[in-house]
Order: sequence, then C-alpha cells, then structure tokens
Amino acid sequence: MDNGHFTETFNITVPQMEQLVRTALSHGGDYADLYLEYTTYNDLLLRDGEVTSGGFHIDYGAGIRVLKGEKTGYAYAENTDMQDLTAAAKAAAMIAGGTSSCAGPFAVTGTAQAPRGSFYPMRISWRDTSAGIFLPFLKDLEKRIFSKDSRVAKVTARLSSSVSDIMMYNSCGELACDTRPLASITASVIFSDGTRNESKSVSRSFRMGAEIVTDSIAEEMAEDAVAGIDLRFEARRPKGGKMPVVMGAGASGILLHEAMGHSFEADFNRKGQSIFSGRIGKRICAPGINIVDDGTIMYNRGACTYDDEGIPGQKTYMVRDGILNSYLHDRISARWYGVAPTGNGRRESFRFNPIPRMRATYMENGATSPEDIIASVKKGIYVDEFANGQVKIGEGDFTFYVKSGRLIENGTLTMPVKDINIIGNGPQALADITAVGNDLKIDNGTWTCGKDQSAAVSCGIPTVLVRSLTVGGE
Amino acid sequence: MQKPEIIDRGEISGAGLITEEEKKAARHCIGKALELGAGQARVSLSKSVMDSYSLLNGELDKVMHSADRSIFIYLFAEGKYGTFSTNMLDTRSLDGFISKALETVRMLAPDRFRQLPSPERTACDAVTGKETGLYDPAYPEITAERKLSAAMSGSMLYNDKAGGIAGSCRETDRYSIISEECEYSDSVDDNYTADSQGFEGRHMETSFAFCSELTIQDNAGNRYSGYWWESSPFLASLDVKDCSKTALERAIRQIGPKRHRSGKFRMVVDRTVSSRLVSPLFNALNAMSIQQKNSFLEDSLDRKVFSSGLTIMDLARTPGKPGSRLYDTEGVATSDSPVIQEGTVKEYFTNTYMAGKTGLAPTVEGVSRPVLMPYSSWDSKEKEISLQAVLESCGNGIYVCGFNGGNCNPVTGDFSYGIEGFAFRNGKISHPVREMLVTGNMITLWNSLLAAGSDARGCSRWQIPTLAFDGVDFSA
Repeated sequence: MDNGHFTETFNITVPQMEQLVRTALSHGGDYADLYLEYTTYNDLLLRDGEVTSGGFHIDYGAGIRVLKGEKTGYAYAENTDMQDLTAAAKAAAMIAGGTSSCAGPFAVTGTAQAPRGSFYPMRISWRDTSAGIFLPFLKDLEKRIFSKDSRVAKVTARLSSSVSDIMMYNSCGELACDTRPLASITASVIFSDGTRNESKSVSRSFRMGAEIVTDSIAEEMAEDAVAGIDLRFEARRPKGGKMPVVMGAGASGILLHEAMGHSFEADFNRKGQSIFSGRIGKRICAPGINIVDDGTIMYNRGACTYDDEGIPGQKTYMVRDGILNSYLHDRISARWYGVAPTGNGRRESFRFNPIPRMRATYMENGATSPEDIIASVKKGIYVDEFANGQVKIGEGDFTFYVKSGRLIENGTLTMPVKDINIIGNGPQALADITAVGNDLKIDNGTWTCGKDQSAAVSCGIPTVLVRSLTVGGE
Repeated sequence: MQKPEIIDRGEISGAGLITEEEKKAARHCIGKALELGAGQARVSLSKSVMDSYSLLNGELDKVMHSADRSIFIYLFAEGKYGTFSTNMLDTRSLDGFISKALETVRMLAPDRFRQLPSPERTACDAVTGKETGLYDPAYPEITAERKLSAAMSGSMLYNDKAGGIAGSCRETDRYSIISEECEYSDSVDDNYTADSQGFEGRHMETSFAFCSELTIQDNAGNRYSGYWWESSPFLASLDVKDCSKTALERAIRQIGPKRHRSGKFRMVVDRTVSSRLVSPLFNALNAMSIQQKNSFLEDSLDRKVFSSGLTIMDLARTPGKPGSRLYDTEGVATSDSPVIQEGTVKEYFTNTYMAGKTGLAPTVEGVSRPVLMPYSSWDSKEKEISLQAVLESCGNGIYVCGFNGGNCNPVTGDFSYGIEGFAFRNGKISHPVREMLVTGNMITLWNSLLAAGSDARGCSRWQIPTLAFDGVDFSA
C-alpha cells in the first residue's frame, strides 16, 4: 500500500511517529502505538416523499496508547500537530508511573501474514461523488415500497456512508494503513390497514463505495420491506413457557453474537468475569458445531483488512467441533495468554483505546435441512428475526426480543407471533443445540455492537434447533 | 491537512473552555453562511474535557485523557435544510466547509417547514453558561493526584491492601471475589449556540462520577455481578466510599436464584431501573413519532390516558440539579411544565419543524429533567414513600432490579422485557428469581400504577423513583 497518501493526509512523517512513540515510552511503558484517523460521513434522509434533510461530517485526530503490562494509558488530540501529539504522548505515558526502562519492545507472539489486498476496495469513492446523484435512488426505493403493498402509509429511507483513512504505527516499528468505506441503506415502513398500524425496518450495509447504489438493491430491499407483513398483522402473543426454539437462518445469528460471542472476548476471560473463563479446550456443545468470528469476508460490515492495532484481518474459530478453541484477542490479552493476537482489537474512533470486539460472527453449516429441523418439532416456536438482545457476561443469561416468528405445531409452521421475548443461558443454550441446518446465511443489516464503544459488525447462522428455552407470552 | 487554527485548544479557566475568540469564530460561520446565500443559520460549538482513572482489583489499570471539540452548522437556504459538523476548526477550513455545505443543501428538496424558531421563543437568560448552577468552580484546580486519590479511595480492594488486609477477607464460604473494577471520572462540557436571528446561549456543566462493579463466584462456580455508581456536578458532593460495598452487596444478594412460577403479580420496580418504563412514554409523546404514525399516544393530547396517580413534570429550570438546561438544541427556552398531569397528557414534544408539519403548537424538542411525582393508592400519612413502604403495601409480588433485553413496540405500546430481581412476601424479600419475563402494554401498565416513591436518586437526570404496578404478567 502507498503510505504517501496517509502521511500526507495526516501531515506527519515516520521519523516523527518514531519520536512520538519514544516519548510515549519515556516513563517505562512496554509498548506504545499511534492511531491516526480522518473520517468523512455523508447522510441523506427521505421522509414524506422528499429528500429534505442531509449533511456531512468530518472527524480528524490521533490517539496514543501506552501499555505497561496489562495497564493502559490513553490520550488523543483532535489534530496532528506535533506539539499536541507530544502532549498526548506524555499524558498516556503516565500509566507507566516510573522512569524510562531498558525493557525491550513489546513482543508480538506471531502475527498473521500481512493481507494481500484490501477486503473492501472501493470502485467509486464516496469522496468523489456528489450527494445530489443519490436523491433519485432514495425516491425510487420509496416508490418501489409503496408499489408493493396498499397498506404502506409512511416510508423513511436513509443513505449513510463514510470513508476512514487510518494509519497505525507502533513501538515494534510496524506501520499499517487502511482505507475503510462503510455504506448503509435503511428503510422504515409504517403499514396501516385502517384500524391498526404495524412497522417494519429493512437495511443493507457493506464496506463498499458508491457502487452499492443500484436498482437491484432497491428492489431487494423493497421486497424485504413488505415480506411477511400479512403475518405481522395477524401475529399474536403465544402462550409462554419452556419449549423448543428453532432459530431461522440469517438474522438469528445476533443471538450467537450476544449470548455466546461476548463471553468469548478475551478481556472478560482474562479478568475471570466470563462464564467461559478457564474453559479453553473443553467441550461446550455437540461435536460438529463450529462457531467463527471472521474479519476476512469481502465487503462485509465486520471485515477488517487490519484491526485497529495493525494486526492483519483473519478468521478465528472460537468453537471447533464443539470444543472451545480460542478467545477473541487484542494485543493485551494475547500477551497475557501467550498466544497470537486474533485481529479483534477494535475501536470506535481515535477517541477510544482498542479492546477485543467481534467482526462477522457466525456458525458454520451443519448437515440437516431446515425443513427437517422444523418437522422434528412437535410444539415449539420458530423465530426468524430477533432484536434488542442483552447478555450478562458472568451469569451467561440472555434475553432477546422476537420481532417475528411462527408457532410450530406438529412439525408445521402455524400462527404468527410477535412482541415476545426468549430468555435463556448462553452455555446451556449452546449445549442444548440438537440440530444445525445446511443453510448458513450471513445477515447484511446495519448491526452495531455497543460494548462501551460502537463497532460495525455482522452475524449469521444456519437454521438451528435449541432443545428448550423460555418463551415469554400471555 | 494541517492548517493554523483560530480556535485554540485552550485550557479550562473559570470562564469555561470556550473563549471569546472561539465564540467570534462561531459567529463568523453564521456570517459566512449568510454571505454565501443562506437565508438562516445556526451554529453550535461544543468543547469538553474528560479524565478517567480505572482500577482493576485495587490497582491502576487505565488512565485516559480526552479533549473534544466540534462545531455543528445548521443551514437553511432557499427553503432547504442540512446539518453539518466538523472538528477541524481553523477559519480557512471552516469557510470551505460552509461553502461545500451550502452546495449540498441546494441539492436537497425544498421543505417549507424548515426554519429557525421565532426569536421570542428562544432563551435570553443563558449568558454565562453558569446560570443552571451545574458548574463546579473548583474544577480547574483539581490536580491529577487528587483524581487518582479519589479513584483509589473508592476501591474496596485497594483499601484492603493499603490497610494490610488480605483481599480475601471479605470472602465467605458462600462466595469469593473474582474481580473489582472501579472508575473515577470527571468532565467539563461547554456549549455555545448562536443563530442568525440574534440568539446566543451558553451552557456549562461539570460532572464527577465514580462507579464500581464486583464479580463474585459462589461455591458452585456460578458468577454474579453487582454494580453501583455515584455522580454529582460538584466534587465535594461526590461520596465514593461505599460504592464498592454496595456493588458487592448487590452481587451477593443474587446468589441462589430460583425459578418462579408464571402468573399475574404485583410488580415493584427499583429506582435504579424504573426509567426504562418511562422512556417509551417520552418516545411516544414526540411529535415526530406522532407525525410518522409511530406512536401509541396519537390523539392523546389533553386526554386522560393513564392512572390519575401518574404525574410527570419537566422541571428543566432547577438550579444545581443534573439535567437542568435553559435552552434546547434549537435555542428554544425551556420551562417548568407538566408532561402528564394526573393521567392526562399535557405535552407533545414539538420542535419548530414538527410544529409546521403537524399544526401543533411548538414546545421543546424533548424532555430535560423529568420528575415523576410521588403517589400512593393506599392511605398514607407519611410524607416520604420509601422502597420498604412500597414493598410492605404491595405485600407479595416480584421486585424488579434489572431489565435484561426486550423491547416496547412504539406503534402499539406492547412490551416484553427480561427481568432480574426478587420475589417478595409480606413486604419482605424472599429469594432472587431468574429467567423471568414481564409482558404487557404501556397504557394498561400505567393505568395499574399502585405507587410511586419519593426516593428518586438525586444524581440522576431523570427523577424516576421506585414504582409499583398491579396485575402484571410474568412468565418463566
């Protein structure tokens, strides 16, 4: 990669970055890194038939981190003046609380190969396009949605995009540069049948340039926006209780992210707070089940050519064949556990220090067809869309809101259900998976993880049967 | 990319973070926008500084220093509107930024309802930024050593070690401590907002906070965590010493949860989480939600929709209390006013834009400092309504101390939340419950209000006390 664009963007040279790192380590830190960011955001909003709101936003600055053992010092400046960056380096250095040491540089225990190319090359950069050319797209999207169902009462559609130039330099002398696009299209629809209103939202998000804006994505989203709305008008709360739950392929993967993925993040495990602490190498679910966190899917919202510590993007098996195989590591936890970083050190912006975060989290395919899984359930519930999940890391207890689903009666999908929750315990639910479908689907919605900081992620899952979960109903 | 800056990165002084020069630069943005053809413009310049000191198991784990700044520019041109922001604040950058922003605005569709609020609605009493009484004049003098000392003093394990006490002394045969995480933080926020009709407003506030999270493990290997925090606009009022102790108690009391049968029970909701049941009401009272048919409180204005016991005031102008503010983001003056009075909806939150679109009278864009007034459905001569009084009056039921996931459907008001808490009998807590859900409808729920305590936490912006409801559906 040509670093010239980045050093010019940030008006800084490699020797200057070396000098800042030296300053950051002047109180005895083991490791220091710089994270420089220039992000431009664009936003267009259609409401009541017209694109009447829009804007753009700029964020620019640099963060400096110092590590001393597992301790972190962090400071940032909203410019890249050497004077201000030096002040930030000195502030971050204070974590070491001593005088300069002769300790060697932070040892990285075997990083992955440098990526051969970006996981998200832009054909048409958002920075080279004018907002005006996207107005017809949003109007077309609205028109397509209205044309597909006479009950559509209101459509709000939004096109958001950002491009981030990131440059990272550390005390190991490693320099990594990355240009990260992120584009999101969302449509929120209110349906009215004259007596009742129902709502539905659809979204698509990819790390892509303006080439994402096509007729085909508008048509696909319009189809999704009205799909299943008849069922939503008919849906009722079912009778609650413990029962088998079939999670539909795709968006149900958010349960995997919340209920299991967070418990695999190494910071929680290093501190002994996760229910999976100390269980590496142990069986936690049935043989044949593989759970992955993957930063290498081209154009995926969770893709990372490099993570925010300069570690190349990679695919990490958290669970392999039912055995807990790996936690998700940043540099701190990797050193603590004596393993290689897994490329999960991520941050919201230069204002934050990196911590272990997920990327695209999914379960790999099993052998059973989804039809056979549903047919195997005498009385249970099928869920195709979850929302608002939450997990307690220590206890492993989770709760998820069911946006849409169906009852399963004698192996057949029957009454549509809504406005209920499913509650369970992560490790128990994993152990209770009795069938995995062969229909893995990655959901490309606008998933954002909120563990102290926001991070763009995605999720996926094949159709999965959990033997028993608590379903809240009437 | 780097250019000389007109807006300095100034240190905090008694006059705040924003200097006169920076205010002048913000007004320059308005002038530039008008010069380039905007009909109206508003700018909002914000600067903040935050320091935090985190401890893990009694030892310093992380120090962080943040200094943020941004300028938001709202442009109204040829009946069109756009919002723009940047943290690159030198004059040459800003001039180019505004020029490009106006080009973008001109591409958008016109919307005749986009305009600044009429000048007589804007605040005229937010001059120094200190009128709300939320600025601690001691802030600039607080040293890094004192901040670190505050962080250390709140840590139970640090104090144990400092006192030569082994970390395990608090452990019993029931549990052991897995970790203690504490954080002390302080911040100052300074905002200057001005518009092309002559409005100028300033708001400054300091905040000091300490939080503690304890994770324990019982003798069966089950983990539980407890959390507690204190905060205040003034350092002298921040009492950190019992934070970790309270967090530990809240973790310990969760040991040994039992399954509870499903059914209809009285529900008492702890003051630390009761705002979760109030926020769907405010969302539904927003004129944007009404206009977009995304509210279960459509056509509710001046109608009695809830129990007579429900009164929520927006006391935005109470000096020295978190949440107070004299103007909203449009610059519109806030006031002390009822939102819901004895069950009757008294206010839709209606900004200038939504007032134009809906024909509703403009109010403010949202709630500032809601205060849910005490109430009891039983005869009580006591002035104060405590948690214990509410539990005793309710007799038997579920005491909810946390919500775990769930949702409220904004169109119907139907909700379903995971909960954690305790069963109580004859007013006394009997045992923790697990894997329970509460379901219902917001209008039905608030019509079954039994009591609202007088115990809202003073450190919260939303003054929502202990609440009690009758006949709530729980499933397990």
